[in-house]
Amino acid sequence: MSEHADRLLTLPAAAASASRSRPTPATLRLTAGLAILLLWEIVVRALAPAYVAKPSGVVMAIPHVIVDPVFLNATRITLGAVAQGLAIAIVAGTAIGLLIGRSVVADRMLRHYVNGFYAVPMIVILPLVTLWFGYSDAARLATIVFAALFSIIINVADGARSVPREYLEVANSFRSHRLRMMIEIVLPSSMPYFLAGLRLASGRALIGAVVAEFFAAIGGLGYFILYNSRTYHHNEAFVGVLLLAAFGVGFEIAVNVATRYFLPWYRRDEPAK
Amino acid sequence: MVAVSTREKLKPMVNSGNNAIRIRVRGLGKRYGALEVFRGIDLEAGDHEIVAIVGPSGCGKTTLLRCIDGLLAVDSGEVVVDSERVTSPIAGVAMVFQHFGLFPWKTVYDNVAYGLRMAGISRAEITRRVPHFINLVGLKGFEKAFPYQMSGGMQQRCGLARALAIEPRVLLMDEPFAAVDAQTREILQFELLRIWEQRPTTMLFVTHSIEEAVLMGDRVVVLKGRPSNIHETIAIDLPRPRTRDTLREPRFGELRERVWGTLMSEARQAEFQLGA
Repeated sequence: MSEHADRLLTLPAAAASASRSRPTPATLRLTAGLAILLLWEIVVRALAPAYVAKPSGVVMAIPHVIVDPVFLNATRITLGAVAQGLAIAIVAGTAIGLLIGRSVVADRMLRHYVNGFYAVPMIVILPLVTLWFGYSDAARLATIVFAALFSIIINVADGARSVPREYLEVANSFRSHRLRMMIEIVLPSSMPYFLAGLRLASGRALIGAVVAEFFAAIGGLGYFILYNSRTYHHNEAFVGVLLLAAFGVGFEIAVNVATRYFLPWYRRDEPAK
Repeated sequence: MVAVSTREKLKPMVNSGNNAIRIRVRGLGKRYGALEVFRGIDLEAGDHEIVAIVGPSGCGKTTLLRCIDGLLAVDSGEVVVDSERVTSPIAGVAMVFQHFGLFPWKTVYDNVAYGLRMAGISRAEITRRVPHFINLVGLKGFEKAFPYQMSGGMQQRCGLARALAIEPRVLLMDEPFAAVDAQTREILQFELLRIWEQRPTTMLFVTHSIEEAVLMGDRVVVLKGRPSNIHETIAIDLPRPRTRDTLREPRFGELRERVWGTLMSEARQAEFQLGA
């Protein structure tokens, strides 16, 4: 709106010069990205051995990597495990979070343990997890759940704690039972917090999966990257890295789209992009 | 200290609440720690009677209403609605809140249906009743709107529909129009009177607007003091149905002045207490 007003107040010539001197955000983003890639390309070509990944090499590697059954299988395994682990973390984390947020007893019992586990680097539990579950898919799943669970618990508990009193008052006045109040009032009211937790959890879940694959040598995208790096296929390894980054961005977009669709009442001030 | 009951003065032409007593409040007292909010409140409301409760801010009107709804525990005395002692919210009593209390994630339809679902009403009955009450409050066409898409006045219409939908015997109104602008407030007052004529219920109406109290009430109860109790009960012998014309009647002006005078004596007294 203010842009529109600006345009009304500015002469065409001045507007044109303003747009020349101030490029759009997209242009800036692209320019910076290309500059970094170019610098990377130059530095590697000038200083590094031939097997070190460089942008042109990664681009050239994309076509044959993304049809490689090994790569596709690794991707399927890792993302499948992440989805599974996130699902477990969402269900368990939401239930525990609601409990901690609404019950003083549960809060006193669990709060410090949850915060403590949240702060523990997930890599340190890996030796224990492999002892319990072996060098297996289960070990990776456990690592993912451990990585994702606590950020969801903490955020949902915060959300449940900060349910406006008015909502609870209305629910009480209409004689809602406690469990129904949890599901119908506390849970939807905590959704914005839950989504914040989910964003954190998705990133941590991905890290958890890759860490488990690195250190327990379980097949998957992390292992694909590790294997290719160790065998001097750095360009191929970077295609895997790119995919992980794309997954992070894609998940964020998916959460935003889902938020607009399922929670139209939340973040209503933000214009749809 | 004496709660003056003026019910017997009511003329037959006005709504006398002649049937059974619906709400009986006896010796009600409430304190928040060291702060005693009110003490020794005696109050009755008959069937289909509207009792307006006014008082200066902070006198505990809203707290009193929450105690009567069973949302707050009382420290002394008791609240009985239709021979049922209130210790937590009971069936057949609905409250309309100053803050509207709509759930932002629910549409108008779902907000209105909420009370019915909590009351365990059948699905078929809910789909029958909800549109009816949405129409009654003038929100037809906004069934799928979310609260954030509506003005304050429309939100309170929704809050009213939610309360009316459970077909309560008793309606508790907690400064329902205090958060909407003056014009909307006036519109909603007459809407409420129109709806009440269609389906009369017993109503306790808490407000800080003297005019609103006189317009709505069959009686106006004035709370005073710290801790507060009922200073005076004034019978409002204005005929029903009450409409915009009621505001122009000389009797309306007299009654408004009467309540105003009662409240002002209270305000002056409070000022003295503060000054001392």
